[in-house]
Amino acid sequence: MARAAVEMRSVSKRFGPIEALADASLRAYPGEVHALLGENGAGKTTLMRVLCGALAPDGGEVLVENRRLPPGGTRAAAAAGIGMVHQHFALVPSLTVAENVALGTREGSGLRLALDRVHARLAELERVTGLPVDAGAPVAGLSVGAKQRVEILKALYRDPRVLVLDEPTTVLGPQEVDWLFGVLRSLVAEGRTVLLIGHKLDEILRVADRVTVLRRGRTVLAQGRETVDAPGLARAMIGRETTRAAGAARAEAGERVARVEAVGIRGDDGRMAARDVTLDIHRGEIVGIGGVEGNGQRELALVLSGRLPPAAGSVHLPATVSLIPQDRSAGGLVPGFDLAENMALAFHDDRAHRRGPLIAWRAMRRTARQIVARFDVRTPGWRATARSLSGGNQQKLLVGRELARSPDLLVAENPMRGLDIAAAAFLRDKLVELKGGGPGEGDAGAGGRPTNAPPGIVLFSTDLDEVLDLGDRVFVLVRGRLIAVPEEERNPAGMGRLMLGSERA
Amino acid sequence: MISQPLRPRLRSRRTGPLAAGMTAILAAAVLAAAGLALAGYDPVAAGHALVSGAFGSWERFASITLVRATPLILTGLAVALAFRAGVWNIGAEGQLYAGAVAAVWVGLAFPAAPAWLLLPGAMAAAAVAGGLWTLVPVGLRFRAGVGEVITTILMNFVAIHTVAWLVHGPLQEARGVFPQTDPIALAARLPRLGSGRLHAGFPVAVVLAGALWWLLRNSAWGFRVRAVGASVRAAAVSGRIHTGRVVLGAFLFSGMLAGLAGGVEVAGVTFALYENLSPGYGYTAIAVALLAGLNPIAVLLAAGFFGVLQAGAAAMQRDVGVPAVWVSAIEALVILAVVAADRFLRRGMETGAGPPGRSAASPGSEARESSSGSGDPLSDTGG
Amino acid sequence: MGVPTVRSSGGALAAAWVLGGLSVACGGGESGTAGDGLRVALLTSGPVSDAGWYAGAYEGLLLIEESLGARISHQQTRSPAEFDEAFFSYGSSGYDLVFAHGFEYQDAALRAGEEFPDMTIVVSSGGRISDNVRSLIFRLEEGSYLAGMMAGGLTRSKVVGMVGGVAIPPAQGTFRAFEAGARVIDPEIEVLEAFIGSWDDVAAAREAATAQLSRGADVLVHNTDAASFGVFQAVREAHGDQDPVWAIGMNRDQNDVAPDVIAGSAAIDIPRAFMEVATRFVAGTLPPGAFDLSLDENVVDFIVNPAALDRIPAELLSRIGEARAAIRQGTLEVPRIRFLEEESGSP
Repeated sequence: MARAAVEMRSVSKRFGPIEALADASLRAYPGEVHALLGENGAGKTTLMRVLCGALAPDGGEVLVENRRLPPGGTRAAAAAGIGMVHQHFALVPSLTVAENVALGTREGSGLRLALDRVHARLAELERVTGLPVDAGAPVAGLSVGAKQRVEILKALYRDPRVLVLDEPTTVLGPQEVDWLFGVLRSLVAEGRTVLLIGHKLDEILRVADRVTVLRRGRTVLAQGRETVDAPGLARAMIGRETTRAAGAARAEAGERVARVEAVGIRGDDGRMAARDVTLDIHRGEIVGIGGVEGNGQRELALVLSGRLPPAAGSVHLPATVSLIPQDRSAGGLVPGFDLAENMALAFHDDRAHRRGPLIAWRAMRRTARQIVARFDVRTPGWRATARSLSGGNQQKLLVGRELARSPDLLVAENPMRGLDIAAAAFLRDKLVELKGGGPGEGDAGAGGRPTNAPPGIVLFSTDLDEVLDLGDRVFVLVRGRLIAVPEEERNPAGMGRLMLGSERA
Repeated sequence: MISQPLRPRLRSRRTGPLAAGMTAILAAAVLAAAGLALAGYDPVAAGHALVSGAFGSWERFASITLVRATPLILTGLAVALAFRAGVWNIGAEGQLYAGAVAAVWVGLAFPAAPAWLLLPGAMAAAAVAGGLWTLVPVGLRFRAGVGEVITTILMNFVAIHTVAWLVHGPLQEARGVFPQTDPIALAARLPRLGSGRLHAGFPVAVVLAGALWWLLRNSAWGFRVRAVGASVRAAAVSGRIHTGRVVLGAFLFSGMLAGLAGGVEVAGVTFALYENLSPGYGYTAIAVALLAGLNPIAVLLAAGFFGVLQAGAAAMQRDVGVPAVWVSAIEALVILAVVAADRFLRRGMETGAGPPGRSAASPGSEARESSSGSGDPLSDTGG
Repeated sequence: MGVPTVRSSGGALAAAWVLGGLSVACGGGESGTAGDGLRVALLTSGPVSDAGWYAGAYEGLLLIEESLGARISHQQTRSPAEFDEAFFSYGSSGYDLVFAHGFEYQDAALRAGEEFPDMTIVVSSGGRISDNVRSLIFRLEEGSYLAGMMAGGLTRSKVVGMVGGVAIPPAQGTFRAFEAGARVIDPEIEVLEAFIGSWDDVAAAREAATAQLSRGADVLVHNTDAASFGVFQAVREAHGDQDPVWAIGMNRDQNDVAPDVIAGSAAIDIPRAFMEVATRFVAGTLPPGAFDLSLDENVVDFIVNPAALDRIPAELLSRIGEARAAIRQGTLEVPRIRFLEEESGSP
């Protein structure tokens, strides 16, 4: 077989009592797209951080083109040809594309930026990869997809032999995903190696040549694309069989529970994040709203849940509205608070959790324990802060809390994101059960809705399959405008067209 | 296999906070001693003067160190509470002056009132005045979105100049000779504890510290304050916390504590209103609160530490002849060393157990969380 | 619901306290109470590097150390909160005599006097007295009166100015005397007066002086501390050989600060005054109540600038000399403001 571009052998890494990587190995060859799969907490990102030199492993070794990589140095890794595109953009909004690219390069390290050289190189990269980008434009004004292009260009600028992309598709619409995959194929055609971290099996299988699956810090599967299928991969990831529930039955709408009319919303930057949004929400239905991130979802979710007053229009909401915001670590949970304190954010006013002016912390901890048990939140201990949980476990904690409030209306923004397959399936079932008037999570002792009347649910998601699968009525949100998806367009391609069409307008 | 697994650079889990603290104090002492020696003073004698000045005897400790610590406890609590709620109240100094004016006014206006009425009345007036003094910054924050850092600082100047005007004008002593008020009625003064100068304001401050700690920990109000301070977003998103109201309440309460400090200082120490009444208690309070990690119980220790430093510094002047400017410089040096060591220590405890920015028992985390560990825009392009 | 930061921040603090406790345990004993020999202390509310009011007091303290073999100590207090504390420190350490150099100490001095009956406190320009709290009053008016005569003789515009620090009676008294002295020369002389509200604010003093100069004043006197430099600067800038403008120093002999424009200084010899007090204290002859020191004791005087002698009319100098003698003989009484409570009406 050809010489491996990257070889990681028996890498281990502990964080205190937690073993993040136990015996993780990976072998990727030049000219292939290599997918790295695993549940949340399986160690995918940790392994990639070891590869990039951001973390020093406790044991094992890393070889790049058969040469051992000295551990724990981002410079050495970069020099060896490893480039990484992070899931979260690390761009300075006020600088131009070229300036962002120049940051941290030789061209940017002198007293003056040698920007003409950057521009020239960017033009060359643009020609080679077909990545269109306006090098002189400020990053602040770019769309999410364009920002990601800049991140990729930033990595390609150093001409890496190995390019690592961490969940790159979550911020992209369907057409953009296709386009990204096209770029990745052209990169490997040049003999480079692409390491792709992902969680959507269908997507991964479309582009990957080889697949490595991690489970609890160990490599449990490493095979070529042709020998694996989605159920097999899922089994490898979670270690047992899963069944995916059949598509939820469309619900008959119940009484109207909330209404927003001609609502306009001002974003943090003072610009209108959404305008002229009118929407009725009924008990027992899921309103699915698709769209690419950054089109007003966050602001509309805040207004629909009564957390933000609109700049225009009228809002009528029920008494209890749950909100699962997108950014859980900076919005839903307080990172420095422990589990019970994070539960108290929602429940500290409920009679069951109060003793006069005091908070009944014992009862609060009991509630927290119930939520933790029900949603299988893995925590290092009872005094653990939310910060110390992995992203997926934070999400489970937050979802658990918001469902436990027994809301009349539930507004959720990408609630499945970051959840592992089992938890996502559980949440999905829970949502379906909830809209059907099931018991929900109200028995967690949070009081709230006395009757069995189901809540109305608004589900924002960038995953169009999710919206199509769960939504009784489906919309797309494009540049702050809410567009109903007609029956004949209820498919990913149709929704993608609506999203693009409006973008051109 | 990698033969030499890299260890995080600083492992202080074993050394423990006490030892690290000792190191900090020691480092500060060495720095201060070096400075003194350079200036031509005997560092050993100066050190001895500092310690004996602050601790020399119980009476001295109580009469000087604890008396100095009292206004620092109260203003330290004021700042700690405000910062806990995410309110940058830099105006404890001005609120202290407002409280002092109110207490003096009550203490002068009702000379015939009995002590059980006059003293609590004066203290209540001081607290209310301190709270009222925050109203301008509060109003500007809520109505005009002006940050309270600037406005509270400006209100300090307003307070200081108002006091100057008052002692030259409306509140000047009856004889109209010196720029100070008449001494307040005996019934408005805080009772002394024991034979020294220690007054009842000290136990009051200690009790308030305990109460504030307990309330922050156990009450719904305290929880809301902590939540808003820790993350306004999360507090607002929870839908159960009216963040504006919480901020308003904490701001006012903070001002009241600082105002009370002024009242206590007047009723327990100076008995009259002067210009320059406070040697910057409201500013030192910021260092006290930060050093205490915004924890009310730790504020007691931090304020005591500053009390020791100030009492000892004055003794250095008296016993060794170190000039006041040098004393101020050394004070600042010690504060700096302790704060720096404290920060260093705190960071060390985190890096000792896991990747930077996470607390002790962090698991190997996934995608979103982990990329925040290298969230610095330059950290992953640096090369 | 622990607060995450407590443990660690407690570390440094707890360490501080442990160290403090240890030092108490192993020999943080008293730095010596009581003890033999005279112990004298000085409190100032400004730096003794001011070349003026406070520097003079510190010189006096050093003189006492040298001449009487006393053990001395000095503390600069930064706010009224420290007044009582400083007295307490000296009282509990067995000091015999404390000079509190400024009226601001008087209330705290009275309280401390009650608490430490064995300690004698002398408050400079103090307004209240008790058994062991005395007031040291400098009759600077007498020097200021002579300075006023000098100003009255030198002015050609018939306008003279006075720039003061804080409007307190001792300062106002010198200005009244200055005014009276000037009008003895010419009753028509106009006198301008300004208080800048600070003893040390050079810029404010300069501004006030410039304002008075622009209103026609050609002789300026000050009663400030370090702010006097501002007055001298302003005068120097306005000064021309054809059109002389004069300044007059105050509180201490400032003639060499600006020899070209200063005609003379109404000065207090503070070191001599402190020596006088300490000597009498040791001898047991310190009078109760207020202790006035004046021209008669050579503590207060008006000192003509020797560098300006040739520019001052001889007739004026002799008139000033006559008045000086008359004050000493008691035949000329200089107006003064009495601010001492319980002060007897006798002259």
